[in-house]
Amino acid sequence: MPDWIMPAEARKAAESIGHADIVVGVPSYNNARTIPHVVQAIQAGLIKYFPKFSAVIVNSDGGSSDGTREAVLSTSVDLARLLILSTPLRAVHRVSFPYHGIPGKGSAFRMIFQMAELLEAQACAVVDSDLRSITPEWIDLLVRPVLHAQYDLVAPYYHRHKYDGTITNSIVYPLTRALYGQRIRQPIGGDFGLSPRLIRCYISRQDWETDVARYGIDIWMTTIAVAENFRICQSFLGAKLHDAKDPSADLSAMLQQVVGSVFCLMREYETAWLAVRGSAPVDLFGFAHDVGLDPIEVNVERMLAIFRAGCSDLGEIWSLALEPATLAAVQRLQWAASSVDAKPFHLDDELWTRMVYDFACAHKHHRIDRGHLLRSLTPLYLARVASFVIETKELVAQHVEDKIEGLCLAFESAKPYLENRWQDDSKTEAARHPFSRSAHNQQNPDPVEVKL
Amino acid sequence: MIRVVQEIFEKTVARLYQHLVTYVPPLIVAVVILLAALLLATVMRWLIVKATKGATLDRFFRDSGLASAIGRSGQLRATSLVAGVVYWAILGIGFLTAIDVFDTTITSRIVEATVFAVPKLLTAGVIVLAGFWLSQYLGRSALVWAVNEGVPYARRIAIAVKVIILFVAVVVAADTLNFAERVFFAAFVIFAGAAAFAASLAGGLTLKSLLERSIAPRRHESVEQHERSLWNHL
Repeated sequence: MPDWIMPAEARKAAESIGHADIVVGVPSYNNARTIPHVVQAIQAGLIKYFPKFSAVIVNSDGGSSDGTREAVLSTSVDLARLLILSTPLRAVHRVSFPYHGIPGKGSAFRMIFQMAELLEAQACAVVDSDLRSITPEWIDLLVRPVLHAQYDLVAPYYHRHKYDGTITNSIVYPLTRALYGQRIRQPIGGDFGLSPRLIRCYISRQDWETDVARYGIDIWMTTIAVAENFRICQSFLGAKLHDAKDPSADLSAMLQQVVGSVFCLMREYETAWLAVRGSAPVDLFGFAHDVGLDPIEVNVERMLAIFRAGCSDLGEIWSLALEPATLAAVQRLQWAASSVDAKPFHLDDELWTRMVYDFACAHKHHRIDRGHLLRSLTPLYLARVASFVIETKELVAQHVEDKIEGLCLAFESAKPYLENRWQDDSKTEAARHPFSRSAHNQQNPDPVEVKL
Repeated sequence: MIRVVQEIFEKTVARLYQHLVTYVPPLIVAVVILLAALLLATVMRWLIVKATKGATLDRFFRDSGLASAIGRSGQLRATSLVAGVVYWAILGIGFLTAIDVFDTTITSRIVEATVFAVPKLLTAGVIVLAGFWLSQYLGRSALVWAVNEGVPYARRIAIAVKVIILFVAVVVAADTLNFAERVFFAAFVIFAGAAAFAASLAGGLTLKSLLERSIAPRRHESVEQHERSLWNHL
């Protein structure tokens, strides 16, 4: 059995419950204000859609000081008001425990997965604790594909504001799609349904103490599922409205953890993605409908100011990561960023794609300390976001989605560029170690065309 | 007159002969030792570069981040570095052995002093090297942080961090070598005092800012709310 990060009382609670068909996990840290709504939605969803199944709601807390755990345990659900007239045949347990280990969402998930494993759950779902738009239907949409259609991972599919989730739209979605050939629209959505087979795979891994323990967990889960050929689908959950992010949470750190996890997994699964061409859609469940979204205010000038500062001061670091032609193009952009009023700032899809691929290769070849490398991506990322905001200012959601699709196609068509640069160093390594795994894979290229 | 000249000449020749007899054989031996050391050093350097091809060491340097921290291009070759160290170490030992052949008071003192100083020199060298590596690493960290946070004068902050760390490393190294201890120590005290003063000033200003915020909470909240909304979408 892997390292347990559950406190002793959590294990005791699991032993006393014995077995649960469904486990729904909620990671939390100081979410007393929003978590009651989430717990109510989960409980109502379990009673309404799975009355014959035994279920446990597990709150994995990071040491909240605002009474989050008490809120979880004391929240009540008025079933009559929800028009749930049927009486559930099995009880829905609710437990709340602090997890041990590195503070972060990943560690919280780890405890939830261990709890699900102990309880021999047939399906598990995880949802964020700051959600304002969660409804009981979310539980049905996340759990049913696992229970009744034998999917291993149910990824969320939301409607989001065009300026929301820009790490997803600019980097993670296009990159994951181009690498592994599956169009999972929200790979770091945060709300997932999981099969016991996939949970066992996660638990058995040894990289929990890395960026996975923090913001890297979502992309880690998705990538492992897709790279190891687990069955994946998506469920349309409507709008994702959630609390403002912790202002102390540093954007650079978040970007570092998410993108660092993607790059690390690229090294681990290079045999899985090097052969992939194109991409294929992923099954989507749920009833798609339009929703109203919170407006989002963005400060383009501040983003461009940080980009300009990066151009002035980070050239040395960027020169270790970017190809000379790419670096020259970035430096030319500095002038455009200085005169944003005269001429709209524009960072095109092809250049952004090359930047991301160059950073991935620099990360692999360790040309510079990886922390510095990933953090130095922030000004470039902000430039891309600023460009995106300027370009999509007047566009409606569908047209914005078309632009994101264009970016994804740029990532897919530039994949040979990534492969060449990625293998540059591998060729040297292969010559040194002709019997290594990577050398073998290189000598036996077997491209797989993904059916479109 | 001729006899006196002849005597002087004979004495000079005898003295020269004596010098030749005394110093030429050791000189020849010393030259031979030096040449042998040079040959050995060259062969060793060649062997290290060719035999290992640096795979393991280079990978260690690359993966530990030392290559990028020390070499500005990030392409520091560990093999070349080790081969260089071995080369110069053999040459140094060869030189000391060669001058020891003369067996004079001066050469013996030089050899003795060098041998005794080697451990301290090595320690000081390691301290300076570590300080250099740390200064490069933390300087770069400070630079990236300052740029990402929109802090003005990012490059100057990074340079200041580098200089501070290098200075501390040099002070410690000088102390190890017992070299101008007082001068370095005095400079260090002045420097540390200045740093403490700057830190107190920064702390005071931060406290003032915090007090202002606590006095005007509503205003602070609106500013923070605004700041949050700017970055929420990320």
